[in-house]
Amino acid sequence: MFINWALQEINLKIVYYGPGMSGKTTNLEYIHSKLDPSLKGDLVSLKTKEDRTIFFDFMQIEVGRIKGKKPKFNLYTVPGQVYYASSRKVILNGVDGIVFVADSQPHRMEANIETLLDLENNLKQDNHTLESFPWVVQYNKRDLPGAESVEALQKRLNFFNVPYFEGVAVRGDGVFNTLKAVINSVVQNVQNQL
Amino acid sequence: MVQTRKLKDGSRQIILNGKQYDVITKVLSELATKTKASAILFADMSGQLISQRGNTDNMNTTVLSALAASDFAATSEMAKLVGEEAKFKLLFHEGEKRNVYLSNVGDNFFLVVVFDVSVTLGLIRIYTKKAIEDLVTVLEDTSGDQAGDDNIIDSDFSTLLGDALDDTFK
Repeated sequence: MFINWALQEINLKIVYYGPGMSGKTTNLEYIHSKLDPSLKGDLVSLKTKEDRTIFFDFMQIEVGRIKGKKPKFNLYTVPGQVYYASSRKVILNGVDGIVFVADSQPHRMEANIETLLDLENNLKQDNHTLESFPWVVQYNKRDLPGAESVEALQKRLNFFNVPYFEGVAVRGDGVFNTLKAVINSVVQNVQNQL
Repeated sequence: MVQTRKLKDGSRQIILNGKQYDVITKVLSELATKTKASAILFADMSGQLISQRGNTDNMNTTVLSALAASDFAATSEMAKLVGEEAKFKLLFHEGEKRNVYLSNVGDNFFLVVVFDVSVTLGLIRIYTKKAIEDLVTVLEDTSGDQAGDDNIIDSDFSTLLGDALDDTFK
């Protein structure tokens, strides 16, 4: 979190993390498509010709002034594919809150778990733990036939019982609720520690 | 160094006071005048733009800062892979019309100087080096820190923020 007193700005960094093709970029694209132009900046995507994120997506959003302060939310995604591990670590630098976008399809369960462990490992290197860090889970692709039950996903992935949401990011289902929840977790986290 | 508050979960809050911001802006203005740079940005390593000078009207400096921070982060991983124990201190991108010179300011901040190829790199280097010294000094000066700043995010703020988010995300 970066606070600039002169401009009364509060900057938060939120990172969307998760396995490849789970819908991280789709979350940002939906947010970008729905927000009032005065509250959002450009959505920048660093991707391959095949439309896969190679480094990150980035977008800044605002909500106007609150008690004279101007909160700004910097949203990033990470590349989900396994071999971009170093890039994921790099993007976590200075992160305040995380959205873990899990893929609800049964055959992606292992990839979800592997990526969550990768996240924990990366957080540890910065002296954070999943247990105390502000994060939320989005179980995405709920509309797909044969999607894993929420109970099963909860059991395998949400062992710290953080807020979770069912999502269909292509339609926008759960997208804003997820974002609101992670921002709330970050703000609560700051307040609890003052 | 600049006021940094460490939270229990290990995350950091970096707080820049008003006096520091004024001096930073002044240093950037001087650098812009002396080097005739097209644009100068000062940002933190997580990619948040702090101050900018020069002709930035047609430049998306928010995105430029985020990309530059990632540039730094990526090259510091590269440094490790090639056996360089420290981080790379400066990055230089050479174009046909414009060049970009990036240099770190302490561990947590960096400076981006965008300039036309007609300006010599030597000139940029000399003045940027001086500016960085000045920036490091002001970041270490905590005399302008405000007392009672603990309340920047109080419970009132979080309630109002919740309402604002509801409004925005309708």
